[in-house]
Amino acid sequence: MITEAIGLLLSTQNSDGGWGASEGKRSNTENTAIAVAALKSLAQKSATEGVSRGTRWLLQHQNQDGSWPLNDAAKEGSWTSAHAIVALSAFPEHQEAVRRAARWLVLQEGSKPGLLAQIILLVTGKSNINDLNNDLIGWSWVPNSFSWVEPTSYALIALKKTRALLSETNAAERISQGEAVIYDRMCKAGGWNYGNSKVLDYALWPYPDITAVALIALQNRAAETANQTSLASLRQTARETDSGLALSWGTICLDLYGQKTDEWKELIAKRFEKTRFLGETKTLALAIIALNGTNNPFRI
Amino acid sequence: MKFTAAGSLFPALGACEPSRNWQRDAYRKKDSSRVAILPARRYDAPLKEIILKGIKLCGLDVKGKRIVVKPNLVEFDPKGVINTNPAVIEAAVDSFRFLGAASVVVAEGPGHRRDNEYLLSASGLYDVMREHKIRYVDLNSDDVRATPVRSSFTRFKQLYLPETLYHADLLVSMPKLKTHHWAGATLSLKNMFGVIPGTVYGWPKNILHWQGIHESILDINSSLPLPQFAIVDGIVGMEGNGPLQGEPKASGVLIFGDDLVAVDASAARLMMLEPGKIKYLAKAGDFLGNLEREKIEQVGERLDQVQQNFRVIDNFADLKKLTS
Repeated sequence: MITEAIGLLLSTQNSDGGWGASEGKRSNTENTAIAVAALKSLAQKSATEGVSRGTRWLLQHQNQDGSWPLNDAAKEGSWTSAHAIVALSAFPEHQEAVRRAARWLVLQEGSKPGLLAQIILLVTGKSNINDLNNDLIGWSWVPNSFSWVEPTSYALIALKKTRALLSETNAAERISQGEAVIYDRMCKAGGWNYGNSKVLDYALWPYPDITAVALIALQNRAAETANQTSLASLRQTARETDSGLALSWGTICLDLYGQKTDEWKELIAKRFEKTRFLGETKTLALAIIALNGTNNPFRI
Repeated sequence: MKFTAAGSLFPALGACEPSRNWQRDAYRKKDSSRVAILPARRYDAPLKEIILKGIKLCGLDVKGKRIVVKPNLVEFDPKGVINTNPAVIEAAVDSFRFLGAASVVVAEGPGHRRDNEYLLSASGLYDVMREHKIRYVDLNSDDVRATPVRSSFTRFKQLYLPETLYHADLLVSMPKLKTHHWAGATLSLKNMFGVIPGTVYGWPKNILHWQGIHESILDINSSLPLPQFAIVDGIVGMEGNGPLQGEPKASGVLIFGDDLVAVDASAARLMMLEPGKIKYLAKAGDFLGNLEREKIEQVGERLDQVQQNFRVIDNFADLKKLTS
């Protein structure tokens, strides 16, 4: 399957060198970065040209402050910068671009409720609706908004990969805060969803794709009970999930935790045969990383 | 601007804005609006016939039009009834094709999950789409276009909306008939949260909650760039702690109309909720459509014959005090 997937990914590269969410869509940072990371990890000659053009797209779209916008129609730095950092980390010649981006990422902070909002929450009895510690700061989807599990995880992966470039910043503190955010949002029986373990006293359930991403971000703390509980949750939920995205993130995660993935790779191939992953670039690229198994770009 | 995880913190919408909050071109109220309520007891009923009848009763002409069908596909719980049933979506697409629509796509931007393949497969919609060769568009990751907001209930001056909406002639909102623990009820207007792209606004689309759920519903609906129609899946709805963890409520109806405010008002009355007490609906009745019972021409089933007592959580007990 991997050969077919590589061919499909290369065939959907836009003429500007980037990738969109699916064939024919405008190039954007998230999909271009993950596609470049996937193709680069292969170390195959047939992918060299695609990698080169994709890398050029990323470099051309980096903002002066080091960040990346969502796509070529936007300007403001976005959560997708973390993906670009991961992709370009594989290129020693682009270390300066990575350093600038990582320094920008360290400075990005999710926000917590202001004093007025906290008073309103208290008065209306909504202060504990989600059982979250609002004082913890991670990374947000939208600049200056609330911290969520997925963007925080992406940021942690990027910053942990680039720690050596960030000695003069408060990276260690931000990483520690980000980890605290993720552990705070864990579902009761392990695993994560977008970031609410409960709402109005009703427990919410974990999503395998997000659980895998969070565990990847916490891979250097693999022995912790929360990680192991969540790993068990991932194994259960992802296997019951009909999705190339969940299976691919799950396989990448299990590989990083030193677990066997042969059976998972078979499930990915079956999903690809059935759905072609709905033509989603991101899933296709993640499946290539999962199936390839070497040069995992998400290894910290 | 600061945002948090909480739901709307400003429930007193309307209390501090005596002047008009919408632009002239956002005003859509007609002298009267027609809403059709048709019986559909089960999902294996002849739904295409029922939907064709509903479309005809509402005088909707789809010939040659490019149609975007927007179901409610937000999350999956094998024990729950969260999403618009695939059988209703299938019948709607069949009906539009039968009536000569130029194209029909199903499009959604799930509010909690990014994983479309999972949601489509688990809900059963994937098999329907494959069998009928229906194209699916993930509105969360669609290309986007900045759109000026035509009302001012939130602080958004513009919203990024999916390009797919700009390449269509009609947007068909197909919600599930459900109560909602932040908004009171989630129907065809609230269903439009799903057109807001997650890649821009995140998952969950919490930034809309912080701006106010009611306020966001109004600004999104006032700013949509194309005409709309609604088909509400009320065959089995949800009561209690909706929109995800409530209990099934068999109601045995489909509700149709081209005035989404009137459709939602009728649906609320059917659920025995007072539409004028659902804040976004009350305000929408000022400019987006007709809320008043006397301005809604009810066809098909008589409302009093199909009304069901939908339970709500304690915070919305006031909605059960019917006045209209």
